[in-house]
Amino acid sequence: MAERPEQGGHAALIVAPAPHVGIPGSTAGMTWSVVGALAPAAAWGIFMFGAAAVFVLVVSVGTAVLAELLCCLVSGRMTLSDGSAVLTGLVIGLLLSAGCPLYVPAAAAAFAILVVKQSFGGLGRNWMNPALAGVVFAQLSWGASMARWLPARGVAESGGLPPLDALRAAFSTTGWSGRTPLAVLASSGYTFSGLDATVVQWVNAHVLSIVGVSLRPGFFDLLVGHVTGAIGTICVPLLVLGAVALLRRGVMRWQVPVAFLSSFVVLAFLFGGLSTGQGWFAGGAGFQLFSGSLVLTAFFAATDPVTSPLGLRGRWVYGIGLGVLAFVMRFYGSLGDGIPVALVMGNCFVPLIDRATPRRQPENARKGVA
Amino acid sequence: MKPQGITGGSFLFENPATALVMGLCPAIAVTTRVMDALWMSAFVLVVLVLSALFMALIARARVSESGEVQAATLGRQRLGALLITATLTGSIEVLLTAYIPEAIAGMGIYAPLIAVNCLVLSGAERATRAETVANGVADAVASGFGFACCLVLIALVREVLGAGTITLFPVGSFGGTIAVPGLSCDPIRALGLAGGGLLCLGYLAAALRSLQTRRANAMAGKAGVQ
Repeated sequence: MAERPEQGGHAALIVAPAPHVGIPGSTAGMTWSVVGALAPAAAWGIFMFGAAAVFVLVVSVGTAVLAELLCCLVSGRMTLSDGSAVLTGLVIGLLLSAGCPLYVPAAAAAFAILVVKQSFGGLGRNWMNPALAGVVFAQLSWGASMARWLPARGVAESGGLPPLDALRAAFSTTGWSGRTPLAVLASSGYTFSGLDATVVQWVNAHVLSIVGVSLRPGFFDLLVGHVTGAIGTICVPLLVLGAVALLRRGVMRWQVPVAFLSSFVVLAFLFGGLSTGQGWFAGGAGFQLFSGSLVLTAFFAATDPVTSPLGLRGRWVYGIGLGVLAFVMRFYGSLGDGIPVALVMGNCFVPLIDRATPRRQPENARKGVA
Repeated sequence: MKPQGITGGSFLFENPATALVMGLCPAIAVTTRVMDALWMSAFVLVVLVLSALFMALIARARVSESGEVQAATLGRQRLGALLITATLTGSIEVLLTAYIPEAIAGMGIYAPLIAVNCLVLSGAERATRAETVANGVADAVASGFGFACCLVLIALVREVLGAGTITLFPVGSFGGTIAVPGLSCDPIRALGLAGGGLLCLGYLAAALRSLQTRRANAMAGKAGVQ
């Protein structure tokens, strides 16, 4: 990647190969800061699922690093220190269940590095996000093994499925009632933790009773990530915290996640209930936003500079397109929670988006011409 | 067309599937089981060689009658190739349906579609431009075998990894299916999907391309030394 020319220096004419739009800092610095931003969510996953989560993360990161090392030895170019292999392995591990057999993270990481990234020429030449493509590969191959969930710490056996999966299971049988997802879950006998019951009861009694509304059981668990699910995806607040840190440092740009999440939420709110016969405005947008791998993918995979559009308009188009794809795959697809496959499909459109949305020339280049 | 060594001709580096990217629909669709790939390869090989033979003979007949080359128009040539291929495919399909129905069942719609397979049609058309009938047929044989090797190789990889089995012909007490230990319980199912087929084909093509480049470089190096 071309270094950004010094603004006040004497570098009047800089000849460099494309891309001409630089970002502050090096590639390695960027990847390692993303790894750091994901660390709190990973720690929360390990706290919730224990040693099993550590095994999954170690296997996925280890395999990714080994695969990268293998490619380095073959090509003679040492690229291990750029941190991208660690990041890829980490994202794969975070998107998997702690209860899945260990060949799943290993195969997903190996596929991500060997096939998706290195076969196309290494970092910067891959046209799909390696981590998410690895997860989709695993979903296509071992869907049943990946759906072996481990109940989170302090969650009863009847809460052993992720809320989203439990909701789908409830819809597939008869006897459910209610309009919002949490109501349907309650009617199907899905239970949240005791802590949730206490907190929700207290808030309902002391705070919300004043304005005459009440929260459903499960609201607190879902909000803080005290539910069964993939290791790194359950705790949305920590993911958002990491993302905010990256945004502040300028490592990440906000347009794609904002466009992605908001278009998904709008579509889920309007049409989400149609697929289950609940009618309009009954999709449970908040529930959908907080479950599955949506937030992690939106902040940490959709913003991948290699597989997202370069221009500002392109980023908006890409983000909204991802939201639409995510909505379709989540409510009408059959591959996991639908988000990884939506992202990978979105990646395929990026070259087209880049071509269809010509960028304004960067500020300094225009000055140079004038 | 000069008779070429087996590595330089349609078998390896001009392999119809990997280099010319022809006949991909059957190459992806029937390579989920080794047995189907074998049947498809044999079917394509027979149709390809026979139609090449007929087209070469017709082309030569036109030369000898009048004593000078009467170039048939491209349109007529293609129509002829299409008719011959379709007739051959139809006849063989009827025979197979009668005597080996499981082969037709495995190939499905891709058996009758050989009639319009671009690999077969282009092979037949190439045969009309061959110097001798034998050359034309030899080219078709090389091309057909190249396609067959490609198909069987892809099918082997896809079936072993994607399903954990190898399906062959049942002989005596042998049921025809070998289960690969360790893989058959939870195989890499993605490779059994169409995308997995394209992936295998892509890697095969890449391997051949890299072999070709390496060989060309070695030859260039040798010429440079001399």
